[in-house]
Amino acid sequence: MYRASTPPALVLGTLLLLADAPALADSANFELSGKLYTKWMYKNDDSRGCLSLSNPFWPDNIGGSNGVCSEFELNIKGRVSKYVTTGVRIQSRWGALWQSWWENGDVRWDYPNDSLFHENTSGESMGLNHAQYMKLRGVFIRAALPLPSVRWVHFGASDFGMWNEWTIGKLRYIDRDNGNGVLFEGAIDDNYLRYHFGAIALPKLFVGPRWNTGLRDSDPLAGFWGQDWAYAVKLESTPMEDLDVKLITTYIHDWEADRNDPDNTGISDRNRGADRAIDWEPRFRALNATLDAKYAPSALNMLSVSGLLALAHNNVNREYATNGVAFDQGFSPVIFPLDEDGNPRAANSMAGKLLVEFFDPLEVGLSFKLEYFNIGSEFNSIFGSRREADVLLTDGILSTGFVDGGQLPTLNLANEFVDFDEPWFESIIGWHGATGRVDYENGPLSTNLEYTLITYNTNAQDRDVDNQYPDFLYTDGFTDIQSYTADFDYANIFDRGRDPRSVYAQYKERLTHIVVLKGDYLLPVGDNFVVQTKLKYVNDGDNRRLGNPNDNYRGHMYLGWLNLKYQFTDELQTRLGYELQYWDENLRSGSQETGFYDYDTTKHTGRFGLTYNFGGLTFNYMLEYFHKDQDRDRPGTYDQSWRVWRSKASVEAAW
Amino acid sequence: MRSFSSYSALLSLALGLGTVGCKAGGASGGASPGSVALTDPTGDDNGPGNYLYPTDQVYKPGSFDLTAFEVVPKGDTVEFRLTVKSRIEDPWDSKAWGGNGFSVQMAFIHIDTDHAPGSGATTGLPGTNVRFAPEEAWDKVVIISPQGPTRVNSEVDAKANELKAKVVVPRITRAAGRTLIAIVDAAQLGGLPQPGWGYQVLMQSNEGFPDKTDLLTRKVNEFEGQHRFGGGTDYDNDPHAIDILMPPGKGGADEVKSQHEALSKYNKEATSPAPEDLALVPMIYPGQ
Repeated sequence: MYRASTPPALVLGTLLLLADAPALADSANFELSGKLYTKWMYKNDDSRGCLSLSNPFWPDNIGGSNGVCSEFELNIKGRVSKYVTTGVRIQSRWGALWQSWWENGDVRWDYPNDSLFHENTSGESMGLNHAQYMKLRGVFIRAALPLPSVRWVHFGASDFGMWNEWTIGKLRYIDRDNGNGVLFEGAIDDNYLRYHFGAIALPKLFVGPRWNTGLRDSDPLAGFWGQDWAYAVKLESTPMEDLDVKLITTYIHDWEADRNDPDNTGISDRNRGADRAIDWEPRFRALNATLDAKYAPSALNMLSVSGLLALAHNNVNREYATNGVAFDQGFSPVIFPLDEDGNPRAANSMAGKLLVEFFDPLEVGLSFKLEYFNIGSEFNSIFGSRREADVLLTDGILSTGFVDGGQLPTLNLANEFVDFDEPWFESIIGWHGATGRVDYENGPLSTNLEYTLITYNTNAQDRDVDNQYPDFLYTDGFTDIQSYTADFDYANIFDRGRDPRSVYAQYKERLTHIVVLKGDYLLPVGDNFVVQTKLKYVNDGDNRRLGNPNDNYRGHMYLGWLNLKYQFTDELQTRLGYELQYWDENLRSGSQETGFYDYDTTKHTGRFGLTYNFGGLTFNYMLEYFHKDQDRDRPGTYDQSWRVWRSKASVEAAW
Repeated sequence: MRSFSSYSALLSLALGLGTVGCKAGGASGGASPGSVALTDPTGDDNGPGNYLYPTDQVYKPGSFDLTAFEVVPKGDTVEFRLTVKSRIEDPWDSKAWGGNGFSVQMAFIHIDTDHAPGSGATTGLPGTNVRFAPEEAWDKVVIISPQGPTRVNSEVDAKANELKAKVVVPRITRAAGRTLIAIVDAAQLGGLPQPGWGYQVLMQSNEGFPDKTDLLTRKVNEFEGQHRFGGGTDYDNDPHAIDILMPPGKGGADEVKSQHEALSKYNKEATSPAPEDLALVPMIYPGQ
């Protein structure tokens, strides 16, 4: 272990010397790989940093849109024996600008409270993350131990890709080796019963009420996270050649110290009941399970049928967890439900989906897909995938032409720590409906047409969004996904427009239609000239309070996108695209008391991009102009415009 | 009773669509002279018989189990279609890295256009660890990769520059259902496919961070890992091919056996293998 003040170059040099040292006869078993990545970001604003949207809720001073940042990673894998492999990743911390020449990570010098020195380049200014320190990550040992039926035992870091989106999701890329656990993998019979078992250390952030596992949020005596774990088991079987069946069950247990334990509340007097031991009490417990099956008959190669049933149980101990709905303005990753008598209860819900696919059954290039989905109104996968996964066939509501999207069964989405060109993810809690899609492939043409109908199990009247059901800060947080003006607009403080309707609302009677047509066509000119297009229409209606005809929301959202890709040389590809969006929203914003008012929004987006690869170097560049006008009828509001230029470039090399 | 193909023809006429995927048994049938349709048995996605998939969930059962291979000439272009047993997915969001709509699969289609000894290449591309007989040397190889064309070209430049003239990076690469589709200009192949051309397909897996000796291929090790195949060796002597075509290309059980035999014949003791230490894979000459 080295101290943070140890020069990274010295550490790296030492490691390289060790790897190459002739005295180490087994250096062939020492596998090294590295990667350098540099990103440029520019935007016509005064933010500073290399990440479009950083942590929105407390200042971490790495977010911003003007700057150049570099990072380095060193991956080391060792083959201890034929039975044991090891791995570690040493990664520099992200956040320092190229201008941060002398940052050393020391605390900022502001004595005697002189604000002049709060942010400077003296080397004692911006905090450790701006010193590009090397952090130990991704530490694991993997062993084929001679245990009956066990194929592998894995100790340490994993991205948890062995479970699924509905239970314990694969960690997002930037978190890929932050999670640790002890994992067993084996088979009683390779066909009939394969298994995974695991005990996974809960991250002290995000898996639980208020996005934590007990950071003293309700009681300074209770904060305790050293014994918070998730336990998981997966059983897989292939009972017949064409059928795969999988059962995954995960259980999360967040302990706190018993706040009433005598050893926690006073002197260790035996007469008080003190015994030099502290009891624990559960703060949060969650059970998520899925049973899924896939049938792909060999005799009918065109057919695939897959289905999934899911169960979610979330149980919050209000004695130890602060009610995020009541105390965080409706922004909470769990619900706090009460029974009919007003007593706290667990949230229990089921979910299911069934996908039937016919791959080119007529042999004319036409494929057909039909998916039914039904997600319970209180379903929540707290440790499920937060982004970078997609469980439904539909294109969804949020995605555009330039910005992709996905649907996930959790309130615990992670649409932060992203750049403006990255996908966005929406919660499908309560979604009940179906998607039909026709794909057509013929030579240079690839296209598909989708229709999706969504009704909502979360439709309700006079739902308690003050204490029980989160309605995501000001009811409409994830709205226009392109026009975040700064970190602090994550919760839509400045009203970016377009109402996606929150998962829960006080009054909700919602119905959504989605129609999407996508196509790619290789033009018969030039060497490699591809035109891509997407047309999308979302008809979103919410009658809100039944009996009040003056609060009925009607959103008509139109999108047209055209993108041209041309490959000039073997190494250089360019892209040029344009997107038009128009949102005609009647009675979008307001309240039952003040009435609701109309919004009209027009957006034009143009993008130019290129990719250049040569000799192991990859360079990417993107320039975007984003032009948006929003007309608001609501009294006391003003119309808004966005005239935003922004760009992102990166150069990387891995070896 | 009408067959599916009858309905297909009717529907094509009604919709004004060009017929795709018309089956041609070998090079015969009513299709273009150079069209090819071969079948590969299911359940042989284990290389020499003992290869195991990586353990990560993205490697779904059947993902590398080649079941069909088609060559469809269309005007001045040629469409190659590889079908696998499992629906092709895009778990790594290839759009985000300029990819082609799938993530995990990769394939090399080797083509012998002259069937002449001494003509063509007998070595596999870097990372495949196979060789070809001199009389079945390949003249072109079509790379089906989820990586964008500039990345593939860059890798070829860096790792197989001496073979670059023989490498064909398709104008379009995409996935549809269980099928990988690549469209190339016939001129890139030296002309439209002809009867007598030979083919061999190596199923591999896309590795975005390949070893310096591997052309975007995923390694096979002695033990499987989260992103490594298992069942081979930790050296580059074992064939890094999960499934291949075997003569006669009709999908029979005998082809499973012959594949296992062919891919097993490598020198397991050679830690720095010479070409002759590698497994020899055959070409298939449809109709011959």
